[in-house]
Amino acid sequence: MNSNTFFSNLWRFLGLFATQAIFLKQVTVALGAYFNILLYPLFILFLPLQLATPYVVLLGFTIGMAVDFVYGTSGVHASAGAFSGYARSLIFYTFAPKGGYSGKELIFSPAFFGWQIFLQVAALFFVAHIFWYFSVDAFTFVYVGAITAKTLAAWILSMLFVVLYTALFNPND
Amino acid sequence: MGNLLQLFIRNGGFVTFVLVEVFCFYIVVRYNADQNAIFANTSAIIGGNLMERRQVVRDYFGLTGRVDSLTRENALLMEDLANARVLQMPYRDTFYRVLYDTISKVDSIRHRSVRPEYRFITARVISNSISSANNWIMLNRGSSDGVSPNMAVVSGKGIVGVVRHVSSHFCFAMSVLHRQTRLSAALPKHENTFGTLLWEGGDPDIMVLRQIPKYKTVQIGEKVLTSGISAMFPKGITVGTVCTTPEQDPEYPSFIQMKVKLSQELATIGDVYIVQNLFKSEIDSLKLKIKDEQ
Repeated sequence: MNSNTFFSNLWRFLGLFATQAIFLKQVTVALGAYFNILLYPLFILFLPLQLATPYVVLLGFTIGMAVDFVYGTSGVHASAGAFSGYARSLIFYTFAPKGGYSGKELIFSPAFFGWQIFLQVAALFFVAHIFWYFSVDAFTFVYVGAITAKTLAAWILSMLFVVLYTALFNPND
Repeated sequence: MGNLLQLFIRNGGFVTFVLVEVFCFYIVVRYNADQNAIFANTSAIIGGNLMERRQVVRDYFGLTGRVDSLTRENALLMEDLANARVLQMPYRDTFYRVLYDTISKVDSIRHRSVRPEYRFITARVISNSISSANNWIMLNRGSSDGVSPNMAVVSGKGIVGVVRHVSSHFCFAMSVLHRQTRLSAALPKHENTFGTLLWEGGDPDIMVLRQIPKYKTVQIGEKVLTSGISAMFPKGITVGTVCTTPEQDPEYPSFIQMKVKLSQELATIGDVYIVQNLFKSEIDSLKLKIKDEQ
């Protein structure tokens, strides 16, 4: 990871964390549990494509812990962050182009793969993250109906913000 | 070592993921009240079921011994039942003996005189300890079986403990081998003179009977029974036998104390009975009334 990539990811970490902590948390507080918008997983999704999975898992855990600190949900977001960090490698493997990644694609963004593939990957990635988050939050599958409903609501809202963020900033490193 | 390193390099992502999730699981349970409550409840249910299954296997291998013990116990119970059915009824200036079955069903006064006072709920020991300073016994009966706190637990051989905590299918009884145990026990050879029975720790077969008046000449080998003074234990349940010469009670100089060898070895309990006093609520409400006047 060169210094440009490092700083791009650092600013992305700080920006997404601040948006989550200052703005999106207030939306949930004001509108209720079904309006839970999670944007910070984009940091995990946009980590360098070549970054080894253990580092992605640890960075997912780190941003999750930071969000937990603000939300007062010790370990819940961290668990979801680590999970989506691991799930990311499986999703990227599934969506790899024929012949594998060339090495020219720095991150998995529309700038390198186009909107169609990006939206498919982001949709799957966010479903995995949000479902894991609500499962750990409920801590029992007795409430599987509520978990599914909350996942669906949060996923739809989060995807709108993902599209907005990606269209605005068009990240490419 | 080289192979282990290769394995980690090949599966590093998965290994890191598992380790991080284990750590997350710990902090989620440790620092979130809701998840902590769910975890505690679930682990209690799973732990209880596992211990019950383990006990099923143990029970199978100890069936012969238990059948023998139950047969002996049944014989004793039938004997007690037969004796309890013969009553002394007052008639003018004398008494006559009459069988309970012959009393007319419509004679409510006489029927009330033989009303049952206790109900015995059978239970099985799931876990038990005798080596701590405060020992507990887990039983496979709970509130759905009619068990509630402060019910006595006895076996065919003697006293066992007192129920303290109850869930819907299980309960925890404070063993008599607990520092807080204080029971009322009597010496039948001395007009049921009663004292306080407690456990001072150490030998799990020995308890101490205190506060017996000094002028009583108690002999080694005398029987000790429950006094029936508290509403928990029925009168006359075997406690054990006096096993040391009485000595002056250090706390109360005008009383004596003695060691009692328990008739029920707490290390070997399997089947027990939880004793429900059918008049407990009535007794408790009466006690409340005198409490206001004290």
